Amino acid sequence: MLKYLIKRVLWMIPMLIGISLISFFIMHLAPGDITSNEAAFNPKASEESRQKLREMYNLDKPVIVQYSLWLKRMVTLDFGKSFASHQKPVFWQTTDKDGNVTKGLIQEALPITLMINLLGLGITLILAIPLGIIAARKYLGWQDRSITLFNFIGFSIPGFWLSLLLMYWLGVVNNWFPISGLHSLNYESLDTWSKLKDSLSHLFLPVIIPSITGLAGITLFVKNGMLDVLQQDYITTARAKGLNEHKVVYTHALRNALLPLITIIGLSIPGLIGGSVIAETIFAIPGMGKLFYDAVLMRDFPVVMGILTIGSALTLVGNLLADVAYAWADPRVRRGVARG
Amino acid sequence: MNKNVFIKALSNPLALAGFIIIILVFLLSMLSPFIAPYDPNDINVKAILLEPSMQHWMGTDGLGRDVLSRMLHGGRISLLVGLVAVGISTAIGIILGAIAGFYRGWVDTLIMRLVDVMLSIPSFFLILAVIAFLTPSIINIMIVIGLTSWMGVTRLVRAEFLSLNEREFVTASRTLGAKDTRLIFTHLLPNSLTPIIVSAVLGVAGAVLMESGLSFLGLGVQAPQASWGNILTDGKEYIQFAWWLSLFPGLAILITVLGYNLLGEGLRDALDPRSGSSK
Repeated sequence: MLKYLIKRVLWMIPMLIGISLISFFIMHLAPGDITSNEAAFNPKASEESRQKLREMYNLDKPVIVQYSLWLKRMVTLDFGKSFASHQKPVFWQTTDKDGNVTKGLIQEALPITLMINLLGLGITLILAIPLGIIAARKYLGWQDRSITLFNFIGFSIPGFWLSLLLMYWLGVVNNWFPISGLHSLNYESLDTWSKLKDSLSHLFLPVIIPSITGLAGITLFVKNGMLDVLQQDYITTARAKGLNEHKVVYTHALRNALLPLITIIGLSIPGLIGGSVIAETIFAIPGMGKLFYDAVLMRDFPVVMGILTIGSALTLVGNLLADVAYAWADPRVRRGVARG
Repeated sequence: MNKNVFIKALSNPLALAGFIIIILVFLLSMLSPFIAPYDPNDINVKAILLEPSMQHWMGTDGLGRDVLSRMLHGGRISLLVGLVAVGISTAIGIILGAIAGFYRGWVDTLIMRLVDVMLSIPSFFLILAVIAFLTPSIINIMIVIGLTSWMGVTRLVRAEFLSLNEREFVTASRTLGAKDTRLIFTHLLPNSLTPIIVSAVLGVAGAVLMESGLSFLGLGVQAPQASWGNILTDGKEYIQFAWWLSLFPGLAILITVLGYNLLGEGLRDALDPRSGSSK
């Protein structure tokens, strides 16, 4: 197991280099750079001052030199400073010589996106597992057919459209939930209980929408897993022994049907991170998606590169965790790994 | 493609519904220049934000443009982007997958590692970055969506090639001295075609959603050119007093994507030998 783990972790290094190479060179396809943007905001910017800016950010050097400089710093987890947001560090906080701490952009944004997605994933699982079991047990019955239809709609509905509709209906018409940001304006003056209530009501819409759109895939997956497992010999044996159906389904079948779900959750991470762009822009949530969108529009290369790299690294770590969890949960794999 | 699979799929009512939706949406959007009641870009200050009526079936937008006409023309763009993007990704997938699956060895390792790397980058981020840096245009969107979604097809084609390569008829042909190109183009590729088509049909659904998402963020099809995504973006501004601007484009995307998903899943079911016995 340990050997397998070390191999997997080491394997992430060339993967990350590959990822950073792809993103770095794509970024340099772009005509124009940060200086064209800063100049647009400042009519007095001369060609001379732009040249100074370029030198400051190393933009005057060949791409390959820029990449190696960037890579050298990345090894120490230094992703540089943002071009656009007042020179804030991209990844983690820095302390200047006067002892002032400046928080990193990703440091601030990542927990928000992670929290929203984990909450969303939790809700999805709570709803999807029972729905999948029902669909499998009533296979081809009306319950299964309605769930299937619902799944197809879930697969096909544009998330941003659903967001708009729910935002209009629940936020604007009925005024049940706030429609933007993470807190109310008077948040600081509230007591702890009201603070919690305020946060939860702000989170409701941004969390519920990815759960609804993610529901379809997981439900279908649980259903297919259950259908497969219920046809296995050991289920027939369990039934033949005279075990009641409840026990057969929930203790014998469910565990095995849910195993592959671990992998699916691991694989869904890049989609979750990527999907946060639209939701966070709509609801004005200061997470990774919004940060990335703003950085892209500003041509803020260090932030774009930082998020692409960290986002991909999270994906790799997520996949690794999923594989380890799978191995831990499935004795067949656990022994197989030990032997290999 | 195997004709029987197609016929079998269409005997499934959901897949048939999907097929009909696809044909209808395709015809309506391709015929848009002839059937659209107004010019989609015709600004009419006397008809701003009119509710749906007999004159304007889907109402008018903030510039007095007829929403139905914009929807029909926009559909043409959305479908075009979806179809071309999938064409690009499928072509890349077939070429890389065929090379990897046929020649194996280090080429295979190289291609599959590239697939792994591409799959680890959150693709929406990648697409967003490239489009924003390259200035958004219809051509760029098609290319970028195509270039970032070929990994699934590559894996699929490779797996098909690997398993077909072991089959007797391929071994026989090889023993008889068939050249690589002959093996690939007359034996391996034609026999892998059905799953490729299934994945392409499902791919169109994904690409249409992707385009609408990009246009919604303002990084897709640019005004005044209509697309379902950017009609919706315009509608967002007026959501409190002009529901029709947000409702119709969203429904159009939903129905179109649903059509491709229904047909794609129906084909996949029909293709899966296990589903034949249980249904």
